[in-house]
Amino acid sequence: MHAILTMALKDLRLLWRDRFGMFWVLVFPLLQALFFGAIFRGDGKDTAKMTIGVVDEDQSQSTQSFIKRLRDSSALSVEPPLDANGKPATPLTPDQARDMVRTGNLVAFVIVKKNTDENEGFTFAEMPKLEVGIDPSRKAEAGYLQGILTEASFKGLQDAFTNPAGMRERIEKASKQLDVGSGLSAPQRIVLKTFFTSLDQFLGSVDPKVYHEGPQAMGGANIQLVDITREKHGTDNSFEITFPSAMLWGVIGCTAGFAISLVTERRTGTLLRLRVAPLQRTQILAGKALACFLACSGVILLLLTVGHFVFGVRTTHPALLAMAIFSTAICFVGLTMLFATMGSTEQGVAGVGWAVMLVFAMIGGGMIPLIAMPQWMTVASNFSPVKWGIYSLEGAIWRGFSFAEMLQPCGILVAIGVICFAIGVQLIKRRET
Amino acid sequence: MIRVDDLRKSYGSLKAVDGVTFDIQAGETFALLGPNGAGKTTTIHMMVGALKSDSGSISIDGATDPTRPVVRQKLGIAPQSLSLYEDLSAEENLQFFARIYGLHGPRLKERVDHALNFAGLADRRADHVKTYSGGMQRRLNLAAALVHEPKVLFLDEPTVGVDPQSRNYLFDNIEALKRAGCTILYTTHYMEEAERLCDRVAIMDHGKVLALDTVEGLISKFGGKSVILAQLDRPPTDPTRLPGRLDGLTLRIESEHPLEDVARLSSDGLRFTTLSIKRADLETVFLSLTGRTLRD
Repeated sequence: MHAILTMALKDLRLLWRDRFGMFWVLVFPLLQALFFGAIFRGDGKDTAKMTIGVVDEDQSQSTQSFIKRLRDSSALSVEPPLDANGKPATPLTPDQARDMVRTGNLVAFVIVKKNTDENEGFTFAEMPKLEVGIDPSRKAEAGYLQGILTEASFKGLQDAFTNPAGMRERIEKASKQLDVGSGLSAPQRIVLKTFFTSLDQFLGSVDPKVYHEGPQAMGGANIQLVDITREKHGTDNSFEITFPSAMLWGVIGCTAGFAISLVTERRTGTLLRLRVAPLQRTQILAGKALACFLACSGVILLLLTVGHFVFGVRTTHPALLAMAIFSTAICFVGLTMLFATMGSTEQGVAGVGWAVMLVFAMIGGGMIPLIAMPQWMTVASNFSPVKWGIYSLEGAIWRGFSFAEMLQPCGILVAIGVICFAIGVQLIKRRET
Repeated sequence: MIRVDDLRKSYGSLKAVDGVTFDIQAGETFALLGPNGAGKTTTIHMMVGALKSDSGSISIDGATDPTRPVVRQKLGIAPQSLSLYEDLSAEENLQFFARIYGLHGPRLKERVDHALNFAGLADRRADHVKTYSGGMQRRLNLAAALVHEPKVLFLDEPTVGVDPQSRNYLFDNIEALKRAGCTILYTTHYMEEAERLCDRVAIMDHGKVLALDTVEGLISKFGGKSVILAQLDRPPTDPTRLPGRLDGLTLRIESEHPLEDVARLSSDGLRFTTLSIKRADLETVFLSLTGRTLRD
């Protein structure tokens, strides 16, 4: 056992001193966990607003109110922005607004046209006339914008009703316009005059608060927006998904490193020295396996420690975590022995080892999280030890596996490890005799 | 001490070692001399139990199985390649190899210090091996073989790729080991090394031992006569009385006793502007045995 430990410590020391190897074993997996963890971290509350440009040709109080309602919308970002005095910093011209949409700087433009209704007929609630243009590549948002504009317009009508005195002035004005020269026939004028009179009486007798607080105010359909959080399976912490994957990348780095080191020992002759020493072949391989096991376990533990203390990765089930770490390390020790026989040079072993490992990682959740995989890929991932490694670690971290549920992934990992180790040792033995 | 009898090893149709037989006495330095591919390294690997022979037997200090730990404890090997961990220091390398032979505590420290001094690397003990020159690495390669104080040392081409100064240092090291009574099996394709260091030499080619004897014995059996080449200062008065062949003023004589012949010619009144005596050596022996030189 002393000799095995001596050989394992030597290998760990060599790994530690190999900066390039340490990058793949520790730095790269950590960077990967941080990068993807940060990407997946968003909770959906900072959804981008639709940026539109607004041109006010009317410059009336009612159009300014309309534009203010657009600015107040949580769904829109309105250009130009306002200065300290609440005025548009640099008002857009219609041509500028059209150009900005055409060049992709705005999703849409809204031109509030000059209102000439006073000369054309009657009105008792000012509805803005709008010219709207939208980026043709954003068709899905066209209807969305139209809804927001309609809402803002009807909000103006609702506001008009909350000011009965102002409304009654408008009705009186409209009634006079009917008399002066609307071009309507006498029966039509009588009908409208009767309507205006009734409305005037109605506005004089109803409490304005009704329009705001009544059961069905004049705000269109009674829609209540609720905050919807997308359904998530198990964890709100994206790092709990990326760290198990990163741990497996670290383990893959160890596997490749130790498989290559075995070939290096064969090439340089240090393996010959070991074989001429009073050691059994099994002791030599056990030393290498122990080093690989300790390196794999150490990398997982180190990443887990960083994940726990810095990114809140849960370690509430240490026994299950130990089970996952042990079985994952065993599995990849076995793969190390097998890969060490897949070439006679370091380049050969590195090429085959990394190629196989990348495929395992690709289909096993090392690149795409297991929970984000399509169905067919989930099935394919069953053939990858990387999947079972990640699955066991996730089971202990956030999937809430019981001991019995942990047995499946851990059992598969240990079985792969033992089988690959046995095959690898036999092939090494055959090669060296 | 060591007995190798009819050792054979084939790789497919290639007979790497073909019926090799020799024995080595305790404290003897024994050379396997031959060109690359002669079967020297394969023979050594079978002798230390790193390679299984197809047939034949090996006996080391009375034990017939070199893979037994008790036998291996007595063996040390300096492989042909630099079998060291480049990212470890000289001291760490030696400590590691000593530990796997079971050394620990003060004995470990004593042996590591001894090996470092032996290799002349005590002042660079903490430096990583990859920072060493080729000669220093070769010396450490040898030191790693003897750190556990083996009875038998297998040195496989220990001076390959080193500069003359380092080679001389290695020769001094090996001669020191000889004086200390270590049994050494030395493989080389440099005849000068075999002549300088080894008590007996087995000449190998194509997996076979072609001849085995002391250097002097081999030369006397297979080396042929020495050659005297003399440049005369003037034409001789009677060329027919001269031994050998005269070409202009150049005289070439093959002789078993070259010094006596030169003395006789001088007393006969011949004067030489240049004179050289080429004594037969292992190169000549190899040439006469195989029809080609060691470096072919």
